[in-house]
Amino acid sequence: MSDAKKDKKKKLSIYEEEKVQSPLRTMVRMFFTRKITILGLSVFGFVVLSCLILPFFFPTERLFVDSTQRNLPPSGNFMKFPKTLEGNVRQISAGNAFAAGIDNDGNVHVWGNLNEGLRAVPEGMGNVVQVSAGLSHVLALNDRGEVFTWGNDRGGVFKLLDIPGEAQEGDIVEIYAGDQISVALDSGGDIHVWGNQNIVSIRASGVRGRVKQIALNNLTAIALLDDATVACLSIVSVPFDRIPEEIQGRTVKIASNDKACIALLDDGTVTAWGLNENGLLDIPENVQGRVKDVAGGRSHFTALLDDGTVESWGSNLLKQADSPSVSGIEQIAASYYQNYAVDGNGKITTWGLKGYFFGTDDYGRDIFSRLLAGGRVSLFAGAISIIISSVLGIIIGSISGYFGGRVDVLLMRFAEIWSAIPFLPIAIILSYILAGNLGEVGRLIMTMLILGILGWPAIGRLVRAQMLAARENDYVLAARAMGVNTRNIIFRHIFPNILTIVAVNLMIRLAGSILSESMLSYLGMGIMEPTPTWGNMLSGSQNLTVITVYWWRWAFAAIFLGLSTLSLNIIGDGVREAIDPKASGR
Amino acid sequence: MAVYILKRLGFMVVVFFIVTMMLFLIFKAVPVDPVNLWLADTGANVKPEQYEQMRQQVISQLRLDQPLAIQYVYWISNLISGNMGYSGFHKAPVRQVVSSPIRATVKMNIVNLVLVFIISIPLGIRSAVKRGKAFDNSVQVVTILGYSLPTFITCILAIWLLAVKIPLFEMGGMATPNLKGSWLTLELDKIKYMILPLIVMTFTSLGGLTRYIRAAMIEALSLDCVRTARAKGLKEKVVIYSHAMRNGQITVITALTNWFIGIFGGSLMIENLFLWNGMGRVMFMSVRNNDWAVVFAMSMFYVLIALVGHLFVDLIYAAADPRIRLT
Repeated sequence: MSDAKKDKKKKLSIYEEEKVQSPLRTMVRMFFTRKITILGLSVFGFVVLSCLILPFFFPTERLFVDSTQRNLPPSGNFMKFPKTLEGNVRQISAGNAFAAGIDNDGNVHVWGNLNEGLRAVPEGMGNVVQVSAGLSHVLALNDRGEVFTWGNDRGGVFKLLDIPGEAQEGDIVEIYAGDQISVALDSGGDIHVWGNQNIVSIRASGVRGRVKQIALNNLTAIALLDDATVACLSIVSVPFDRIPEEIQGRTVKIASNDKACIALLDDGTVTAWGLNENGLLDIPENVQGRVKDVAGGRSHFTALLDDGTVESWGSNLLKQADSPSVSGIEQIAASYYQNYAVDGNGKITTWGLKGYFFGTDDYGRDIFSRLLAGGRVSLFAGAISIIISSVLGIIIGSISGYFGGRVDVLLMRFAEIWSAIPFLPIAIILSYILAGNLGEVGRLIMTMLILGILGWPAIGRLVRAQMLAARENDYVLAARAMGVNTRNIIFRHIFPNILTIVAVNLMIRLAGSILSESMLSYLGMGIMEPTPTWGNMLSGSQNLTVITVYWWRWAFAAIFLGLSTLSLNIIGDGVREAIDPKASGR
Repeated sequence: MAVYILKRLGFMVVVFFIVTMMLFLIFKAVPVDPVNLWLADTGANVKPEQYEQMRQQVISQLRLDQPLAIQYVYWISNLISGNMGYSGFHKAPVRQVVSSPIRATVKMNIVNLVLVFIISIPLGIRSAVKRGKAFDNSVQVVTILGYSLPTFITCILAIWLLAVKIPLFEMGGMATPNLKGSWLTLELDKIKYMILPLIVMTFTSLGGLTRYIRAAMIEALSLDCVRTARAKGLKEKVVIYSHAMRNGQITVITALTNWFIGIFGGSLMIENLFLWNGMGRVMFMSVRNNDWAVVFAMSMFYVLIALVGHLFVDLIYAAADPRIRLT
């Protein structure tokens, strides 16, 4: 060891050290003299601690899926509006990962996670009075009643960016952009719909000439009619079509999210209907009777109250319902996971989803929080499988080493056969057969069991060798002479003496165990989605598009997994050098 | 020696039967009805009674109506005579299905073996000699990366770096489809597809081995005989390669053989990532397709390699170390 010389100068000489230090203390000191080991230890400690603690702050919902948030790159700028809008804002509308706003001069600004289509704001729109941002396109309306649109059309199949003739007659008063769909409301109370109507189904025929306002969500549109009644425009049955009778004729404004709709009545109260997920229908007591405006995101509602404060409720997974305490607010905008509030001076307050630290995966899930949760599962599964194999290995190894002779030969041959079976293939077969039709928890347990059972021979051999050496000691003889039974001799008398070596070895093997779990899960044969593990988060990333375009889907999980196994191996190296006196060159 | 080999061979045969029995039981536990798989295509077109008749025919053909022990005997005698069954998925004899993947994998692994052998031994020895120096430290860093990183991460990184960013090699597959040309162009094309998997394979297996060799050599270099050799004034080269290396050999051989047995299982991952149609990939796909006859044949091959490998280790031990007597 290169540092040995340096150490000797400042620390004890070899003879002094022998006098005052127990072997264990020497080991510990040796262990901590290597810088690289300390680095490894801190990296691993950092990873473990983050996986244990951070999930409390960055929760993940296992079954969360949102197609509008798919494959978003790492970013934090969703709500970083341009400075020019501050104090000079006319209106804001949020899209899935971006937003559009207009200043008081009628100029359009876009910000957030933009691509080329969204950046291409058309020139010469004149004085824009309204913008609406959808999943990946923006609609704008100017003071002459003209509609403009830009964004991504996903190949142009649905002609999302081709504004139909009847919406180009200059009489449009309101525009609504949704998930690949656009709706324009004209002054005659007619609505014009274009874009992808396969997913969002809207039938306008029944309400022709009577529409006052529209609320779009991912399934359909809800219309507020000129007689203050509400109608659902869906062709198929949706959760929103059971509109409560008591709101008919009293509704002033409507808003909607994917799960529920909300209506603001003329007395300042709100009524929500639809699916009661995340407490969407449980309207906070303090807002009733004081509501001035309502807006809906994807799974939350935001209300503007008459004293200029705001209140959000619903799902708070992406912090979209963390409404700040502000006052003097005059205008609110909420959509997807973002919220904007503008006060009388034009000051903008935002809350909700700023962006994804590590991007999102194919299902729109936040990779960062899943990485943390997955780390927990991976480390846990690795540790448990090591414990299982060590229990097996210790029992078999102890018996083999203590009794020796025929038992030993038999058991060690057995271990030899066992380790002759190639690990990965047999683990795949076993996992398929044993865990094929188990539930999620069942699979987790079965994966740990398989890894544990397959891994015992190495530890068994180690324990056997230690046992062979230890059984010749006098204290064993004494115990035997006293008539202590065999089980107690092995596990009470000998075992504590070899515990250190075994424990150290288990730690060294943890890296291998985590690796095996990740490989199985990567192949889809271990722990399965939606339970995240580092292995299964990397599944499917050998695809060319993923490797090149969606690099964040593999890079971060790979870094976390690689860092932990690497640091574990470095620690293992350090431990090995520390317990092996030869390694220090003595 | 001959007695020992015979003994070991006898042991191998016993182990082989035990393992086949275990595998047989495992595959009997597969929650899939082989008859349904067999008749998967015909099911829709025939009348129920006709189907039932076909079913019975298949059952007696596969001897599923016999007791388990008899099924095993039939099956093992078939296996020994080289008849490994019929793949329900590929609709072809298993032998035909598995022969080309096995050849591909063996080819790749042999090349890998040679490469690793050529690289890891000099590297390990050199870093043992230069212990603590910059060379040793950099070798340590590279090797720890090699065996710490999960194979699939190394694969993805290699694809990203060497096939996408710097498009030197092919991303995956075994040959350019529909390529026409002389024998030589076809072979060169195949080699082109083999390079990247080989690089990854070598990189991942280099790590552990080089470290083993280094550790063994460090121990050997501190032996008294090495000091004596140096005292005699022998050249450093002779001391290292003749005196020290002979003492380190045993560890090296153990490590190499264990690794060699391991790579056949380990190449499964690489084959899957590079879409290399080898044993591992075919086995993995067969597991997914419930094609258990193929899986079975592959598993037997894995076990066979492992057993032969272990026998080999013992024999090489005896050859390498005169102190070991095989009786």
